Amino acid sequence: MIDTLYSLNILDTSLALLISLVLGILFGVALEKAGFGSSRRLSGIFYFKDMAVLKVMFTALITAMLGLLYAQALGLISVESVYLMPTIYGAQIIGGLLFGIGFVMSGWCPGTAAVGLASGKWDALICILGAILGSILFNETFHFIQPLYTNGNQGILFLSDSLHLSKGVTAFLFTIIGIAAFWGVEKIEQKVTGKSEYLGSQFLKIFSFVLFSAALGLMLIYGQTTRKALVYPFFKNTQTACLFSEQALLQKVEEAQDHIAAEELAERLLNNNQEVLLVDVRPENEYANFHIKGAVNIRLSDLSEQLIGYKNQGIIVLYSNGMTHPAQARDSLNRQGFNNVYILTDGLLGFVDLCLKPVALRSEPVPDGLAQKINLWRGYFLGQAKGQKGVEEVRNFAHKAPGLIDTQWLSENYKKPDMKILDLRSQNEYNTSHIPGSLAISPESFRGVVKGVPSVLLPAAILSQTISLMGIKPNDFVVLVYGEKPHDATLVSMVFERLGHENYGILNGGFLKWQSEGRLVDTELPKVIDSSYRLNYADNFTVYYKTVLQAIKDKDAIILDVRPQDYYLGQKSDEARAGHIPGAINRPYTEDIRKADKYSLFKTVDELTTAYKSIIPTNASKIIVHCRTGHQASQTFFILKNLLGYTNVYWYDGGWTEWSARKELPIK
Amino acid sequence: MNPYLAGVFLGSVLLASFLVLGAGLGASSGLARIAAALELSIAKTHTLSSEYFGKWGETPLNYYLVFMFVGTVLGGLFSALAAKRISFQLEKGKAASRLLRISFALIGGIIIGYASRLAQGCTSGQALTGGALLLTGSLVFLICLFAGGYLAAYFVRRQWND
Repeated sequence: MIDTLYSLNILDTSLALLISLVLGILFGVALEKAGFGSSRRLSGIFYFKDMAVLKVMFTALITAMLGLLYAQALGLISVESVYLMPTIYGAQIIGGLLFGIGFVMSGWCPGTAAVGLASGKWDALICILGAILGSILFNETFHFIQPLYTNGNQGILFLSDSLHLSKGVTAFLFTIIGIAAFWGVEKIEQKVTGKSEYLGSQFLKIFSFVLFSAALGLMLIYGQTTRKALVYPFFKNTQTACLFSEQALLQKVEEAQDHIAAEELAERLLNNNQEVLLVDVRPENEYANFHIKGAVNIRLSDLSEQLIGYKNQGIIVLYSNGMTHPAQARDSLNRQGFNNVYILTDGLLGFVDLCLKPVALRSEPVPDGLAQKINLWRGYFLGQAKGQKGVEEVRNFAHKAPGLIDTQWLSENYKKPDMKILDLRSQNEYNTSHIPGSLAISPESFRGVVKGVPSVLLPAAILSQTISLMGIKPNDFVVLVYGEKPHDATLVSMVFERLGHENYGILNGGFLKWQSEGRLVDTELPKVIDSSYRLNYADNFTVYYKTVLQAIKDKDAIILDVRPQDYYLGQKSDEARAGHIPGAINRPYTEDIRKADKYSLFKTVDELTTAYKSIIPTNASKIIVHCRTGHQASQTFFILKNLLGYTNVYWYDGGWTEWSARKELPIK
Repeated sequence: MNPYLAGVFLGSVLLASFLVLGAGLGASSGLARIAAALELSIAKTHTLSSEYFGKWGETPLNYYLVFMFVGTVLGGLFSALAAKRISFQLEKGKAASRLLRISFALIGGIIIGYASRLAQGCTSGQALTGGALLLTGSLVFLICLFAGGYLAAYFVRRQWND
């Protein structure tokens, strides 16, 4: 199997640049030899005088298409290692129409103009200068054209999927259309110009036959495999009546013939169905972090080799976080004759959401039957030992955590021994009334001066001592309870993030919601036995000013300044200098919080998703959050990383305090 | 050269590009990168903070498609030299004025530059490369390209009048 430079992610090395230069030279020779160094010849196609453009282009297209499909059939390359462009209908339709107009006006397109330039054509030079101007124009009007640029984005879409045909059949039909077009344009040339060099010639006959046979062979190799519908009676082995519509689910399975629903997979695995081979195609480290119980980890590029023994035996289910990669892999395996490959609907994220999310955390009401199912699934997939529900129920949280928890869930679980509740309000507030069993701790006790910078999170060694004094053990589930300020809880969450203690949640609405709902409070001090919390340093998210400076230079990160707008704009300042880091985007932390009449809540995940989608292009975009001291920014960090699933979020703890005081750093 | 054999040659180059680079051929991206470099040299901070060129950073030319574009010019030069096909001229119809041809070439060029950024590719990167991969959007682009060309052909035909 060939590893392309793209799949190795080394398209920017000098080796890649050199190879590109060589391929470019060959490209130039091919275009020149085809006679494309002449605008008159190129535009001939639009006046039916010289159809060379169509002949060359379609022949090249079919040659490369057949070649690539043969290479895949032979196992030389997998389609995942080739860069695929997304289908964006709006941009490609309007872009195509415009491009055609530009093409017929100038008589050139970018590649042929390069060859025209080399052949001494002044109009090619003018066209190239125009195209450079046009590119600059595009950059300058990007803001205006952006809606069209992404309009109708379908992601990676193959013609075979659009037409609901197999790849082999699609390629075959495409070749037939091409051959017909060759004969057609020869006829046109004969009619318009009175001569056709190839119409009815021995050459064209043989050429057509060769293409036809190659395409036919390909179709036979790939087989006309249509994917079987995977329809099994849902929940057939359980007596529990499941209350959500079985019918609707079955129908869904039928429509999405190559998908398997999360619930069905969960049921099959739970019932120890030997037929299912579950394959996690994510990178090794993600697999090591968490995977569906029973899944094996195989790299995308190794799939066909590793799965060969399972070809058309039982069911192979592929999953990743989302669905694009598994879908591509499934197509590729399908072409290699695998007819038993399915992908998990909505990927791992969907699976966790549908099957493993605790009932207490769901926004919609869950019928009893399903609730029981979910508990069974959680028990099985999250490694819960049977008959130990109390304590383990809390442990299960580990897989949802870090996240938000609601007061109802806490009221049902607060007495459990593995539960540690930290009350972050002021001492006197705690003394008068608190959630039973909770410990008082000020968020400020985790911060101090480090290397001269005030108010930064203390080193892990000190944090783990403080945690030990509160009797917290690595397996405990920690609940953070704030008073009026949700960012008090998120600041303390940074302690647990730094120590790699993911088993925590923030009580949404804080103590004030708990209180306003009339839930139990008391004034007792809990008994605590010191623990010796292991020293663990899991902090790969805190960055220093140098990293931020580099990110500004490299332009590879979005810098989110979460301070109130007047501070961002420099109208207010409590620091050495007023303003903000050049290029930083302002998203005040207060925008993420909703005030109810008595307490503050985090906005819903839907609201937050929409808000951040408009600021941050993808879940993997690099984001650096900061505020003045790291306090407010911890809230944005928590939301992006733990509620919205952004994977590349960093925290500039030193913040504006440090940045403004370092006079050598640029500000705006 | 026989256009069909030229097509097989071109298709083989594209196939080699798929197998080695893992990406197809491209031309307009190279031009756009050159445009970004030019704009950088004129207005650096403006360009760096612009939404589209800005993400290419300070060295937009350090990109494989820029090298491919340079290669295309060189390849064209080698081939034209070998075949003695180099002639310095403004290609146009005998009866058409120089100004007309120059204006059309310039305006057409601007449109091409703009449209290929919008569609994320040109005849090479979208139509040919994406077409060979049988990507729906690239084939839509190819069809629209010819539709646009045939629609406009009548209005610009004078430049080829002999």
